[in-house]
Amino acid sequence: MEITNYVVLACILFAIGATTVLLRRNAIVVFMGVELMLNATNLAFVTFARIHGDLTGQVLAFFVMVVAAAEVVVGLAIIVTIFRTRRSASVDDVNLLHG
Amino acid sequence: MPEITAFEAPEIEWVALAPLLIVLGTGIVGVLVEAFVPARARRLTQIVLTLAALAGALVAVGVLWGMLQDTLTAQPGQEAALNPRVLGGTLFLTPFALGAQGIITILAILGVLVVADRTSTGEDAFAPTAAAVPGTHYEDLAREAGLRQTEIYPLLLFAAGGMMLFASTDDLIVMFIALEVLSLPLYVLCATARRRRLLSQEAAAKYFLLGAFASALFIFGVALIYGFGGMVVRGGNPDAIGVRLLEVSSASRNILSQGGSLPDGTAALYLAGVVLVVVGLLFKVGAVPFHAWTPDVYTGAPTPITGFMAAATKAAAVVALVQVLWRAGFGMAPDVVEQLQLAVVVIAVLTMAVGTVVGAVQTDVKRLLAYSSIAHAGFLVTGVVGFATVVDGGAAVSFVTPPEGQTIVAPDVIRGVLFYLLAYGVATVGAFGVVTLVRERSADGVILGEATDLAAWRGLGRRAPWLTAAFALFLLSMAGIPLTAGFVAKFGVFSAAVAAGYWWLAVLGVLASVVAVAFYVRVIVIMVMTPSNEETAAAAQGVVAVRDAGVPGSGAGLSGSGASGRGSADASAAPAGGAVEPAAPASGAVRTAAPEGGLATATVFGEEHEAKAEAAATDAVVVGSRGPAAVAVALCAAATLVLGLFPSLVLDLAEQATRYVP
Amino acid sequence: MNPYLPILILMGIGAVLALGGVGASAIIGPKRYNRAKLDAYECGIEPTPHALGGGRLPIKYYLVAMTFIVFDIEVVFLYPWAVDFTTLATFGLVAMFAFLALITVPFVYEWRRGGFDWV
Repeated sequence: MEITNYVVLACILFAIGATTVLLRRNAIVVFMGVELMLNATNLAFVTFARIHGDLTGQVLAFFVMVVAAAEVVVGLAIIVTIFRTRRSASVDDVNLLHG
Repeated sequence: MPEITAFEAPEIEWVALAPLLIVLGTGIVGVLVEAFVPARARRLTQIVLTLAALAGALVAVGVLWGMLQDTLTAQPGQEAALNPRVLGGTLFLTPFALGAQGIITILAILGVLVVADRTSTGEDAFAPTAAAVPGTHYEDLAREAGLRQTEIYPLLLFAAGGMMLFASTDDLIVMFIALEVLSLPLYVLCATARRRRLLSQEAAAKYFLLGAFASALFIFGVALIYGFGGMVVRGGNPDAIGVRLLEVSSASRNILSQGGSLPDGTAALYLAGVVLVVVGLLFKVGAVPFHAWTPDVYTGAPTPITGFMAAATKAAAVVALVQVLWRAGFGMAPDVVEQLQLAVVVIAVLTMAVGTVVGAVQTDVKRLLAYSSIAHAGFLVTGVVGFATVVDGGAAVSFVTPPEGQTIVAPDVIRGVLFYLLAYGVATVGAFGVVTLVRERSADGVILGEATDLAAWRGLGRRAPWLTAAFALFLLSMAGIPLTAGFVAKFGVFSAAVAAGYWWLAVLGVLASVVAVAFYVRVIVIMVMTPSNEETAAAAQGVVAVRDAGVPGSGAGLSGSGASGRGSADASAAPAGGAVEPAAPASGAVRTAAPEGGLATATVFGEEHEAKAEAAATDAVVVGSRGPAAVAVALCAAATLVLGLFPSLVLDLAEQATRYVP
Repeated sequence: MNPYLPILILMGIGAVLALGGVGASAIIGPKRYNRAKLDAYECGIEPTPHALGGGRLPIKYYLVAMTFIVFDIEVVFLYPWAVDFTTLATFGLVAMFAFLALITVPFVYEWRRGGFDWV
């Protein structure tokens, strides 16, 4: 089996994640899409590490995981704040600033 | 599986890390201050600590600059004073990067001064506790208890430290981490406004969701570049394959210049990776089509934070953009680089167009400054298009394999971008600092939040002459009027575009500047030459008596009131206002007595727009600052004038940076 | 011996434990049913869906989750160091202790600010 299939899988996951960010209305689902994109990146890193016979890609995947976790903390804090104020997590409702 | 070789502890050049260590270390100390210092002393401790850290970092940058110049001009055989490549490129202190660190530190100091100001109302711009749900009793309790959200100071330090690292690294994964370190505190800081908390939280949510999306695009690009890098970097220690862009590009360039070709499909892999990374960077720069977050976030965030964000983030992002484009282009085939250059050109044109055209119809001061910020991003990207230029005896040639003995640098880009970032940053921090001091007043005299509607700024020149003069100076600098720093800055970036061969882009840039001048001067006209709303309202009541008195040419009366300026103008303004007011709804033609005929259309359009909005707009009130904001605004104004009159102070320093890679 | 046999045995033990536990409590346990016992359990709060717009979700769940994530990631970084401890010698020790000290700072901050009070 071609190892580049994993890279293709990573690209497909990335595309699904990007679609989720662009099309979904719930802020938490949008953020899940971002996490899916970051996980696709991890898969790409690990696959390329395997292709090159090098461990650096796995280390880089570690760093991406850490950053994703930090982003989750801050992002969910902001989403929870919006939810407590508005009782709704829909991104369409966040429209006081427009133009 | 690769062999695990014996571990060799790397050499760390601590001296090169000094500015970063000072800023980030003080951020950590700031968090400990938050934990242990009693609440009364916390704010002063944090402010002193933050300013001391940033000042120390600036001094460290200055010392490093000297050491770096010594190293770069050293004769072979002399010992190097400083190794610019720390940890193999994880921190790569080119003069360009060090200059960017210095600019970011300066802008951070000015930004923190504006943040630290509690105006004469006694309140700063930040909510007592950002976690309280707006409109609940908890919020009132927190305000009465005198809580203060002093965590903003360590957050500002972390953001500044992240920006400094973002601009000075060669390793893309470190750049990604620095991107998050600079962004996450800003996401939180956007949500901490005291007034209009719903807008503030909304701005934070938009910034976060879009910023996370852009970061994910960035890191996927890095993954693709890593894939490419592993295929071209051969030999040596296999464990050293990373995503250090210069290393990858040099390896690719070696293959290409020896006449070989890259393995199948890998050139496309590299290009795709670089494009994704550049997209992530353009989001931070605020360029079209990744600019949608800018107006909303700048408007909703607390104004001092907006000033800091607009100035310093853009500095870090543009510097990183230049570095990535240059280093990536170093390893690509010439035709691919030309395509990349073309994409950058298109983005520059679109950004300038959107920023100036949409900015011209804004009625909210912060939104107007946000769109002007987008326009400036466009001018900066115009300066960046020459990233792949080889200078051959003065005339630029396109990016080809350089002739023997020539190094590829982009001297005009480096010089232009550094100066523009300083001039634009200083004007932006100053402008937003002025906006923090112009407030609304409620019916019973209580000072509310910022008066962001332009209608409330009418006649501000009479009530606060120094503030209006400073704001006018910042707007003129942003417009690029001669004698201000903005003029020299625009000259620099446009000459960089011309040197790259894109003279038509520079012409477009000048045209966009002219359009931008229109809406900057419109704001100045509103502040200086328009009677304030109180005067027009009072005069409308006395209109019957006054009209019989036979007022001389109302245009003369208007310019008379504009010229007499300070204080005493009420008497002369009232009759002029009285004669003008009945005529205004019918046609703004009376105001065409204003000096430049070309401005008449802008003034008429503006007046009709505002007349539609509210018949009785209230006046803005200028609150005094308790010191820091006034100092910051004064420093920014002084810097704008000094850089405009004596630009060689900074241009000479920037010249030293042009001899080395960006 | 097939190298996958231990995994099969492990799956079998896991199934025995799970089914045995549920089955034993179903057979031997007392059968006194009331409404509260049949509800879904969600850490003591009202189970979802909440009353429309009125149900308040305690914010402490969020704090617990976020604290867990941050310190879990710290542990994630400790694992590779643990694997290669002797090779990394003094440099690794000093570097990791610096990392731990830096992580302890927000730990102290959260402690002093009452973030751990509910737990």
